Amino acid sequence: MAAQDTIRFIPERCDGCGDCMKACSKAKGGASRVSIVAGRDKSWEMALCRQCGDPKCVANCPAGALDKHGGTGIVGWSAELCVDCHLCTLGCAYGGIAFDPAAGHVGKCDLCDGAPACVPACGKGALEHLSAAARLHQAHAAREDMFVPGLSACQGCNSELLIRHTMRRIGRDSIVAAPPGCIPGMGTVGYNGQTGTKVPIFHPLLTNTAAMLGGIKRQYERKGRDVTVVALAGDGGAVDVGFQSLSGAAERGERVLFICVDNEGYMNTGMQASGSTTFGSWTSTTPVGEVGRGKSTDGKYLPQLMMGHGCAYVATASTAFLDDYHAKLDKALEASRAGFAYLHVHAPCPTGWRFPAAMTTEVCRRQVESNFVTLWEFTPAGGLRFTRGVEHPRPVTDYVRMIGKYKHLSPADLERIQASVDRRVETLQGFQRRSAAE
Amino acid sequence: MNQLTPNSSLMPNSSQMIVCDGNEAAARAVVLARPDVVSVFPITPQSSLVESLSQFVADGVLGAELINAEGEHSVLSALQGACLAGARTYTATSGPGLAFMFEPYVRTPGLRLPMVVSLVTRDMLSPQCVWGGQQDAMSVRECGWIQIYCEDVQEVLDTVVMAFKLAEHKDVLLPVNVCHDGNYLSYGVSRVEMPAAGLVDEFLGEAAVNWHIALDPARPMAVDPLTGGTGPGGAASFVGYRKSQVRAMANALRVFSDIHAEWGERFGRHWAPLVEEYRLDDADIAIVTIGSMTGAGKDAVDAARDRGEKVGLIKVKMYRPFPREAMVAALSKVKAAAIVDRSVSFAWECGPLHQDVMTALFASPARIPLVGCIGGLAGADITGEHFARVIAATFQAAGGDIPSSPVWLNEHD
Repeated sequence: MAAQDTIRFIPERCDGCGDCMKACSKAKGGASRVSIVAGRDKSWEMALCRQCGDPKCVANCPAGALDKHGGTGIVGWSAELCVDCHLCTLGCAYGGIAFDPAAGHVGKCDLCDGAPACVPACGKGALEHLSAAARLHQAHAAREDMFVPGLSACQGCNSELLIRHTMRRIGRDSIVAAPPGCIPGMGTVGYNGQTGTKVPIFHPLLTNTAAMLGGIKRQYERKGRDVTVVALAGDGGAVDVGFQSLSGAAERGERVLFICVDNEGYMNTGMQASGSTTFGSWTSTTPVGEVGRGKSTDGKYLPQLMMGHGCAYVATASTAFLDDYHAKLDKALEASRAGFAYLHVHAPCPTGWRFPAAMTTEVCRRQVESNFVTLWEFTPAGGLRFTRGVEHPRPVTDYVRMIGKYKHLSPADLERIQASVDRRVETLQGFQRRSAAE
Repeated sequence: MNQLTPNSSLMPNSSQMIVCDGNEAAARAVVLARPDVVSVFPITPQSSLVESLSQFVADGVLGAELINAEGEHSVLSALQGACLAGARTYTATSGPGLAFMFEPYVRTPGLRLPMVVSLVTRDMLSPQCVWGGQQDAMSVRECGWIQIYCEDVQEVLDTVVMAFKLAEHKDVLLPVNVCHDGNYLSYGVSRVEMPAAGLVDEFLGEAAVNWHIALDPARPMAVDPLTGGTGPGGAASFVGYRKSQVRAMANALRVFSDIHAEWGERFGRHWAPLVEEYRLDDADIAIVTIGSMTGAGKDAVDAARDRGEKVGLIKVKMYRPFPREAMVAALSKVKAAAIVDRSVSFAWECGPLHQDVMTALFASPARIPLVGCIGGLAGADITGEHFARVIAATFQAAGGDIPSSPVWLNEHD
């Protein structure tokens, strides 16, 4: 099932006939949940629910009657929980939720279980039902893939997916640095005279990516040339031995886009632990034995540290929520024109974490649904803002039990992980509250 | 070209006499060379050099991008990126800073990045110390950087300018360390002649630093992909790169000599590019020196000559690549020689320069006795008195009494 669905309205095709509203009324047995309204200059506009990524109706609801579903992205309404206060209708800027006098409560589009009745009812082609995949395809299919076919990432690795999406968006006027790790290991940086990348690429030291990119950018700024410099780094080159140069470049506000692809260890070289490896994880340097029970300390949470640097933009992302990632990538690119931009993308590793290769996206989704991974963004002006709600998480065990590297953990260990997840969410919520207050 | 500030003391229209120390002389040379990107991190005894550069940028006289990095490792990394994007680059470091820089440092020659980095030489820890010595530079003598040692403040200024031309020469294309002794040259003040800025522009020409490899969307390529291993053509490819790198080092001897000849013609100062022979032609013995000790060494030679002793001096300017033929030619004129090192080779119980001279001697028709002397560690003085002892020991060696272990010049100071 697609992670995010919505209906696209194409105003230039609409003639205001109202067939969509009739179809909706019929399908839902009451007032139509979409409305065609007259716009300026004899045009038509449509009031409908956008199934927003950050729905204000949900935020306004005091009764928990509205909720954005983590899988489909649909904002659902519960008749049992609703107290008919109508605060949701005040929150929505799109007229997507409105009081239905006939029904006696609010009504909103629920996408008709994946087959919205209004879409085929429109004879003018003014409505399209878009899944996330379709929308991403429309946005990116025409763009050139900047990597060769046949990169040799492990089966089920989301890093290849991520870098292809990323560099399609960034395009040719760019320079990539890929420090030692899985991304060079899959063939991007080339071998014996051949390269896997169509844009200039360099395989810097594990330690110096951000500084080196800063130097490149300074020279192009000096020449007056607009070149995007981007790091495709693993967590080791960011949280561990690469941290100093990253911190320095962020402090100096170098105009760099640094993307950390976090698979929680040195997976390319045989799954050794890194500073990002989470508590309890089996790795080849935190093995499980008679005495050892995996990693004994929590992972270092780099995105929060980067926020502490006051970067122009910091965000976390998951490949189970590609819409969210693309929105953040756009913002990070824009921010990197004036300052340091940092994206932290989680990359569960089927090979090193021991889960089936077909499950990667589901693992990514569970990470987010359990708050093990939270999705947020930060700017110095706006502070921290969650881009996906953290209020109703699944228990972290729903995620942990999918992953082989945690299978030895005791109930006490699991409680510790849950507690540290809860603590981190509280900390981040504190940042968000402070941002909202300011 | 960057903006020209006409006729300031930093960018004079005609040659001009000034007074400054070695660190400022190096900084002034950098202004004349018009680099695109300079990255700095302070460390004793280099700090006043990067302070000068920062002030020159703040004053608008040095029109370079200045990167105040958070450490030497990032300093050199940023310069690698800038150089790959086409920038003429410069930095300076010393002792522990050089050690911290080591990881990108060893990579720079293989990338064939023609940057200039001053080493304000300092003894290495431990014992903890902050004073001059050449142990830092000597520790990196086999990394593939060209190493040049200066005798006085004027030579620092002239050599830093010449180093850009050497580094960027198409037959060389290697990074260059211009070494000047911490304390003695870094803070030693003397009269210096500033060359005319316009003449330096003509001498150096435009920077050409990334025609061989570049990170540039207009010329997309993978810079430094994995090379070697057992894949098809891997071994041959790696050997090809290494061989050309070693060849380029050898070329530096000829190119640096040509550059010195041109410098002499244009600016009227004639330095010996590889080794300088001082009062050597009729000498019985020679002292081999490197760096700022050479001045005291020449005074000691003069004093010995006044006593009627036929003593000469061989000053090493270019240390890497080692000027083997020039050294053999110089040694062939004497019956014994002393090598005065300002650092040690832990492996050979002697100084590194001693070890090199021994190796050069293997190619010489005559095996003359060598006396190993080690002095000037951690800021200690090497005075005329010390050199008098060196000379005495060398005459004894010429007579057959050759010390088997080094003479530690400051052992009782």
